[in-house]
Amino acid sequence: MSNRVQLTLEERKGLERVGYDEQQERSGTFLAADHRVLEAKPFSDQVEILPVALAIREYDWVHDLVFGLVDPDKDEYTRMVKKQMEPLGYFIRVKEGQEVILPLQTCFYIRTDQTTQMTHNIIVAEPGSTLHLISGCVADAHVDKGRHLGVTEYYIGEGATVTTTMIHSWGPNVTVYPRAAAHVKKGGRFISNYVVMSPVKHIQMAPEAVVEEGGLAEFYSIVYAPEGSSLDIGGTIRLKGEQARCEIVSRVVSDGGKVITRGCIVGEVDGVQGTMACNGLLVNPRGSIHAIPELEGKSPLVLLSHEASVGMISQDELSYLMASGLSEERARELIIQGFLDVRIKGLPEALHKTIAEMIKKAKAGEAV
Amino acid sequence: MGSVMLEIKDLWVEIEGRSILKGVNLVVGEGEVHILFGPNGSGKSTLLSSVSGLPGYRIVKGSIRFRGERIDGFRPDEIAKRGVGLAFQRPPAIKGVKLDTFIQAIANVSDCAPLYRELELDYLKDRDLNAGFSGGELKRSEMLKVAVQAPELVMLDEPESGVDLEHIAVISGAINKLLEKDSPCSDRSRSGLIITHTGYILDYVKADRGHVFIGGRIVCTDDPLEIFHEIQKRGYEGCVHRLGQQTIGDVS
Ligand SMILES: Nc1ncnc2c1ncn2[C@@H]1O[C@H](COP(=O)(O)OP(=O)(O)OP(=O)(O)O)[C@@H](O)[C@H]1O
Ligand SMILES: [Mg+2]
Repeated sequence: MSNRVQLTLEERKGLERVGYDEQQERSGTFLAADHRVLEAKPFSDQVEILPVALAIREYDWVHDLVFGLVDPDKDEYTRMVKKQMEPLGYFIRVKEGQEVILPLQTCFYIRTDQTTQMTHNIIVAEPGSTLHLISGCVADAHVDKGRHLGVTEYYIGEGATVTTTMIHSWGPNVTVYPRAAAHVKKGGRFISNYVVMSPVKHIQMAPEAVVEEGGLAEFYSIVYAPEGSSLDIGGTIRLKGEQARCEIVSRVVSDGGKVITRGCIVGEVDGVQGTMACNGLLVNPRGSIHAIPELEGKSPLVLLSHEASVGMISQDELSYLMASGLSEERARELIIQGFLDVRIKGLPEALHKTIAEMIKKAKAGEAV
Repeated sequence: MGSVMLEIKDLWVEIEGRSILKGVNLVVGEGEVHILFGPNGSGKSTLLSSVSGLPGYRIVKGSIRFRGERIDGFRPDEIAKRGVGLAFQRPPAIKGVKLDTFIQAIANVSDCAPLYRELELDYLKDRDLNAGFSGGELKRSEMLKVAVQAPELVMLDEPESGVDLEHIAVISGAINKLLEKDSPCSDRSRSGLIITHTGYILDYVKADRGHVFIGGRIVCTDDPLEIFHEIQKRGYEGCVHRLGQQTIGDVS
């Protein structure tokens, strides 16, 4: 199954770090480099993957999904994406009741210097279906300057489940502006994991989810920000239907990077529940973490709560580990790893292992 | 008489500018087990923490030698690497670090499985280190920690406090094994320094010497069982009156 796409060994390694791995069992695969789709292939008849431009031509209803959730006039970046003649990105559909066990992998790769990559992705999970996405984003090590703007729209049908795990490995000269939105219908579930372990010049993003009756949305962000990185990340979840629930969890380690982490939960109707936990660990005095948790209740019977913390590595924990014979460096490493080890609920065990593995790889590849 | 493992001379230690240890003298020989008694707040834990080089314990006077080498001023990892282990009275919880990850990272023994089994800790392997551990679980996992380190100097800060009677036997078994209490004295290379309030540990672990700690110094040294019985009968001060005051320098 290897050598499906012409990539150098070096490139393959870079892609593997963000979860795009030709050796792993997947239900389908999508790869775009710069402005071109290199691969869009399902390995299972349960899923459909097409370049989004093709899907628009093939199905007349897809047209209505494009900018159906994200406002094209939201900002300059969405406007740029909208202006594209032919959108670059994927259309993924899981048909009603299909439970796709193996993850589907997608990857956007900036290969050439000075590229502005603009993407538009549409995900449709029909009622009662299940889909696990692993989305990698990576820039070639030789890219001196690059930009990635992306719009992603998730349509999650009644009782459907979509989990998406996004791993970014952009490099110190790339700026990134993803714009994502999800609509979770009655009893649906949307779990979004966002992992950044390597340097990036600037990322600014705040996905939005609207959750209908009995639905669930969970946003997890796991961020390691070395010096030179600047991130403004967060998410908004609107609980619109009765018994809708959500959770926002962010774990941020700043090793010199500047990080703003936002979270916003809006309880629009009675009987909704949402919790948020934003925890930051500063391991380098040059870094900063600014946690901005927001809760908004628009009805008297909502249950929303948050906890936030920003602090240094505890001296007690450090000296406890060192008194057992670990060097200070090793002790710090353990504490940081532990801090970032968020147990994401609602994921199949195999995927959990995959993600843990990916985080490890992403961490190992982090530039010095 | 074997060689000296730990030698503390006229040790003065401050915490946040407050004088806590006020001239401690103590010599622990190779293969010996010493017991520290003393009221709450008298400085027992401070002494063990100072030997381990924990930050915040400022040594203002005196010296600590391990196998002849001065270790005061060394970092905790340097001291641990030389063969000093400390089971904490109150170990901190470390989120996200599994007990077993920690144990494997620090182990100097080739196989930890028998120690897990002996201390009945298998079920805690995948739990976050010390997070939400019950009182007894904490004490057993601290014992496991020290056992896998297999240090030459085994320091245990109240290893049986809050532990049920059956598990005191379990912990004591592990202590005896670690201190090679089944071997003849001349074959033992490990030494112990154990703090206890309850004295239960004395029913299981044969100790060579006891010391009473009051007001930041050792005020009396004698047979540990004798000391414990006197403390039970007359309290700490009474015990000192009865057994006689130790004078500075009278340590070996
Ligand atoms: N980190 C600290 N900050 C401030 N004071 C401290 C600190 N650690 C210890 N102390 C003080 O030092 C004194 C001795 O404490 P230590 O823990 O050594 O007593 P102990 O003999 O072990 O008592 P216990 O039997 O209650 O465990 C106490 O008054 C205590 O409050
Ligand atoms: Mg104490």
